[in-house]
Amino acid sequence: MLVLLRLLAPLLGLAVAATGALLAVEASWTLVRPRSGPLLVPWPAWRDTLASYSWSDSAVLVAGGVLALIGLLLVLVAGRARRQVVRMTDPAAEVTVVTSPRSLARLVGQRVRDEDGVDAASVTATARRVRVRVRAISRLTTEAALRPALTSLVTDLVTTLPLARTPRVQVVVDSPKDRR
Amino acid sequence: MSSRSQAAVVRSAGTDRALAILLGLLILAGGAAVLLVGAGAFGTARAGRPLVDPIAAGWVAANRLPALGIAIAAGLLLLVLGLAWTARSVRPEAKPDVVLDRSPATGLTVTSGALSDAVAADAGTVEGVDRVRVRLVGDPDHPALRLTLWLRQGADLRTVWDELDSRVLARAREALAVSTLPAAVRIELNAAPRQRVA
Repeated sequence: MLVLLRLLAPLLGLAVAATGALLAVEASWTLVRPRSGPLLVPWPAWRDTLASYSWSDSAVLVAGGVLALIGLLLVLVAGRARRQVVRMTDPAAEVTVVTSPRSLARLVGQRVRDEDGVDAASVTATARRVRVRVRAISRLTTEAALRPALTSLVTDLVTTLPLARTPRVQVVVDSPKDRR
Repeated sequence: MSSRSQAAVVRSAGTDRALAILLGLLILAGGAAVLLVGAGAFGTARAGRPLVDPIAAGWVAANRLPALGIAIAAGLLLLVLGLAWTARSVRPEAKPDVVLDRSPATGLTVTSGALSDAVAADAGTVEGVDRVRVRLVGDPDHPALRLTLWLRQGADLRTVWDELDSRVLARAREALAVSTLPAAVRIELNAAPRQRVA
């Protein structure tokens, strides 16, 4: 989202500038040469087309809806554009230490995959929650056996890190033994 | 908790966000207004009127000069604002120099590059650190350090931190003769395999 905002911002700025430029140029041209046609954009033709519509026409309503939607999307994208960081406890005054959710997920994932009975694991982490989805390999391991072990493993791991807020740990195990 | 070090973690996107939200709200309001008028919220008579209202068109025709003047002024204003926004958001993040002595006769400045290189070289020697990237952020009056550390697998975070603070940051503070230097440290855990000791 943040990357999107940083890409959009200059484009929006240019769009605003271009609109202003067109407005100023066309208005000046009409002022200076009222009798010759428009200079850059055929605005009298646009005006006549618009005049043939009324507010209650379906085309106008659709256009209004689309505009409202675009505006809403822009507000949402800009409002949610924040870099996700996981704060760690401040080790000293004037120092802020953070890590990224991806690196937290990487750490947990490597540790979980090292465990016996784990075939594959996918980990997603956000600032608030670490969610681990594990696929168990062993025929002998059931979810009931593996899940508490993994949950306590990940919880310990996450607690030893000096995180400002301990994320909630959620472990889901898919075991072939359970699918019977 | 320091707001200067906190602000140094990520480049601020506040202005872009505020302007984009403002523009979005304007467009949303415009679209909503069109929907409301068309749906008859202001009366069915108004909903039936053409988009280019004859009364408004008549006013513009009667007052050509002021109307065009307003249009030109509005156009120029939008042009300036739009270009200013674009220029500001395209500008790369500033790397301020640290001014140690502002007296007009002597003056002592540590360039951003020099300080960053020195801190990066120091930080790279910390055990468990694979890669470092250091830069200065902020403005010339309030510079701050931003360090990004890529740690090896198995590196103990607390030891890394202790060394970083007691050696690297302390040296930087000493060199600049300041008691505190706001710093934002971004840590990438487990970013490199364990170092094999031959």
